[in-house]
Amino acid sequence: MSEIRQMKKPLIKQVDPGKLPEPSLLFLKNGIPVYITDSGTEDIERIEFSFDAGSIHENSPLLASTTNLMLIEGSEKYKSTLINRLLDTWSAFFHPYVERDRAGFVIYFLNRHIEKILDIAGEILFHPVFPDSELKLLMKKRYRKFLIEKDKVYRLAAEQFFESIFGNQHPYGRQTLPADFSNLDRELLNDFHGIYYRPEKMAIFVSGKIHKDILLLLNKYFGEIPIQPVIANEFSGFPSGQKKRVIHIEKKGALQSAIRIGAPTINKRHEDYFGLKVLNVILGGYFGSRLMKNIREEKGYTYGVSSSVVSLNLSGFLSISSEVSNKFTRNAVDEIFKEIRRLQTEPVPVEELSVVRNYMLGELVRMFDGPFAAAESFRSAWEFGLDNSYYTRFAARIRSIEPDEIKAIAKKYYKIDDLYEVTAG
Amino acid sequence: MVSFSKFTLDNGLRVIVHEDSSTPLVAINLLYDVGSKDEDPSATGLAHLFEHLMFGGTSEIPEFDTPLLLAGGENNAFTNSDITNFYITVPAENIETALWLESDRMNCLDFSNKSLDVQKKVVVEEFNQRYLNYPYGDSLLCLKPLAYKVHPYRWPAIGIDPSHISNVTLSQAGDFFYSHYAPNNAILALAGKITPSQAMKLAEKWFGNIERRKITTRELTAEPEQTEERTQVVERDVPASAIYKAWHVSASRKEGFYACDMITDILAGGESGRLSVRLIKRKKLFSEIDAFITADIDPGLLILHGKLMKEAKMEEANDSINETIEDLKTKYVSAAEMEKVKNKYESSVIYGNTSILNKAMNLAYLELLGNPNLINEEADLYRGVDKTIVMDTVHKYLNRSNCSTLFYKSTRKER
Repeated sequence: MSEIRQMKKPLIKQVDPGKLPEPSLLFLKNGIPVYITDSGTEDIERIEFSFDAGSIHENSPLLASTTNLMLIEGSEKYKSTLINRLLDTWSAFFHPYVERDRAGFVIYFLNRHIEKILDIAGEILFHPVFPDSELKLLMKKRYRKFLIEKDKVYRLAAEQFFESIFGNQHPYGRQTLPADFSNLDRELLNDFHGIYYRPEKMAIFVSGKIHKDILLLLNKYFGEIPIQPVIANEFSGFPSGQKKRVIHIEKKGALQSAIRIGAPTINKRHEDYFGLKVLNVILGGYFGSRLMKNIREEKGYTYGVSSSVVSLNLSGFLSISSEVSNKFTRNAVDEIFKEIRRLQTEPVPVEELSVVRNYMLGELVRMFDGPFAAAESFRSAWEFGLDNSYYTRFAARIRSIEPDEIKAIAKKYYKIDDLYEVTAG
Repeated sequence: MVSFSKFTLDNGLRVIVHEDSSTPLVAINLLYDVGSKDEDPSATGLAHLFEHLMFGGTSEIPEFDTPLLLAGGENNAFTNSDITNFYITVPAENIETALWLESDRMNCLDFSNKSLDVQKKVVVEEFNQRYLNYPYGDSLLCLKPLAYKVHPYRWPAIGIDPSHISNVTLSQAGDFFYSHYAPNNAILALAGKITPSQAMKLAEKWFGNIERRKITTRELTAEPEQTEERTQVVERDVPASAIYKAWHVSASRKEGFYACDMITDILAGGESGRLSVRLIKRKKLFSEIDAFITADIDPGLLILHGKLMKEAKMEEANDSINETIEDLKTKYVSAAEMEKVKNKYESSVIYGNTSILNKAMNLAYLELLGNPNLINEEADLYRGVDKTIVMDTVHKYLNRSNCSTLFYKSTRKER
C-alpha cells in the first residue's frame, strides 16, 4: 500500500507570531485602569477584575482564598442564594481565582446582559457582608476537599516541595494544616477585604466583542468608588528555602510515588528568563522533551513527566514532576538528574533546538489566538510591570539563543546541589 | 452561526470544513469510528492502547511529533466508549505538514514490539495514576458494570483491568488497526483559516489515495431494560463516603437527550442547582454534588454523584436525593428556573464557538451522529424543552427500577 503513496514531505514555513498588538488602555474617573482587547467573533465578553490581593498578603492561612470565595456569599443588596441564582440566570461563567500574588475573578457573559452582570460584580466586589453561616459551611466544604487532596500523592509532594523551597514561615511556602480551617472569622475577612479589595489595587481586563458603551458602563458601576491614598502593603519578606533538601513522605498503600525536584529561581523580570524557558522546554516542557522520551517513551516508568518554570512577584521556581510506578521511583529520580547533567555538559544538538524553537513560536501564536487568550497572556506579563513587547522579545530570543548559552544556563540555574528532591508514596 | 461545507472522497473519507478567518491557525480533527465498545470483553482497553500506538511513528515518518513541532503545531488525542479522536492545531501556513502526518499514519502504521511493550507499561501507569491510585478513581469502574449487564459500555475506555492491557499481542494490535483505521471509517474536520476549496484540494491530495479497508461489522447487543433497582456497597480507604447513582437514558442527541441534559442542570448546575441549595446549603448532607449525562451513541446514563459531609448518614443522603427527584415528578419547574438553565445552554454554545478546535471536534462528532448542522440547531433544541417535557422525562427515566446506586463507603477512622 505504501508504494502508491510516496507522498513528498511538505515544506515547513517558519512560524512567526508577528507584532503582538497591545490592548488599549483607558482609565475610569477614579483612576482604575481598564485594558481592552477588542477582537471577538461571537457576542460574548470576558472581564477580569484583578486585585493585588493574593495569598502573599495573608497573615492567617487561607484568609486570601476564603475572602475571595466568600465574595459571592451575600452582599448588602443581595443574599447569597440570590447572587448565585442571578449569575446562573444571566448565564455567566464565573471563575474566582486566588494566586500567590493576585486575586479576583473572571466572568464571561453574553453582551446583552452586561448591565446586570456589572451590577452584580459591583456588589460582589465592593459590598460583601461575609455572613457567618455561609462562612461556616464554606470552611466545612473546603475541609472535606482538603482531606481528599491529602490523599493524592501528587498533592503531598507539591505541598512539601513549596514548603522546602520557600520555607514554612512564608506565604509562598506554608502548608495548609487542618487547624487552619477553624481559625477564620468574619472580622478577619472584613479587614482583609477592606485593605486589599480597593479600587487603587484593582485593574480591569476586558476582551471579546466589546460593548460600545463599555467605558460608560464601567464608570457607572466602578468609576464612582472613592479612592484613598495607596498604602504600601506590609512586606512579608523574601522567601527562603529550608536546609533539608531530600524528603520522602510515606503514604501507605500507594501504587505510585509522586516526584518533585526543583528550586527557587528567577522570574520574568530577569534577563536570563527567556533562556531558562527554552531550557525548560527541552528538559520537560513538551511531549517530545528529554524527560518524556527517556522516562515515558523509552522506559515506561510513568504516564507523564513534565517540568515547568514559574514566575512569582518575589521569586520564581523551577520544578520537575511525575508520578511513577513504585518499583521505579529511584530509577526515575536518577534519570531526571542524569538529564539535567547532560544539559550541563553537552550542547543541545541544533536539530533538537530547532524543533523546540518552532514549537515555542507556535505556542506564542496560540497564546494570542482569540481575544480571551490574548487578554490572559497580556495580564500575566502586566503583573510583572511588562507589556506585550515582553512576548515580542521572547520570540526574538527563542530564535537567537545558541546551544552554548543553553548549556551555561543549565549550569547556572540547575546546580545539582541546590535542587530539592521530594517524593511521596 | 457556524457555516460549513462537507464532501466525501472516493475512498469514503468524509470531510467537513468550517472557515474562520479571525484566527491564524487551523484545527484538524480526525475522528475514527472505533471505541472501547468495539472491544472483546476479554481484551478491554485495546482501543485506548491503540490511540497511544498511533504516536509510535511509521516507516515513512519515524517520529510523529518532530515534524509537527517544527511546523509550530500541537496535538493530542482521546478515546472513549464510542470514538478515537485525534486533533492538531497548527499555524495555517503549515497545514500540509499536519495532513501529511495524519494521512501517513492512517495509511500504514509501523508496529514494533518495542513500541508496544513501552506503551503497555505507559497505559498501565495511566490506569494506576488516574483510576487506582487516586481517591474515588475507581468509582466508574464499579458503577458501569452495575448499570450495564450486557452492553460493552459496562467497561470504561481504560479497560476492566490493567492485566488486559499487559496481555495485548502485536498481532492483535495489527488486526485492530486494519479492521478499524481506514478512510471509510473516519471523519476529517478542518476549522480555522482555510477555505472550503483549499480544504477539498488538500484532503484529496493527502488522503485521496489511501485505499478503503474492510471494517469489522459492529454487532452490539442492546442493553435489556432494567426492571429492578440495583445497589452495591464498596468499602475504600478514602476521607469521605460518596454516593454514585446512574439511570439509563437516551442516546446522544436522540429523543429526550436535551431534556435529560437540562435536568442535570436543574438538579446540580452551578451553585443554584436544587441539590446544591437543598442538600449542601440547607441540609448540609453533602460537601459537593454533580450530575451529567454520558452522551453515548448507544443509550447512555444520567449519572449523579456526591461526597458526604462527615456527620451525614448514607441512607438519609440517598433518600434526600430521591426526594428531590420525586419533587420534579409532581411539581412543574418554575418559569424562572427553566429560563436559567436555557440561558446557560445558549451561552455554552456561543462560548464553545469561540474555539476552532472545539468547533472542529463538534462538527466531526455531529457528522458521525448524522447531522453536523446540530452545531447551529442545538441552542434552539434546548430552548424548545418546556416544563411539561421536563416532567415527562423525569417520569420516564428517573425511576428507582431504572436506577443503579453505588454506595462508596469510607472505612477511615479519623475523618
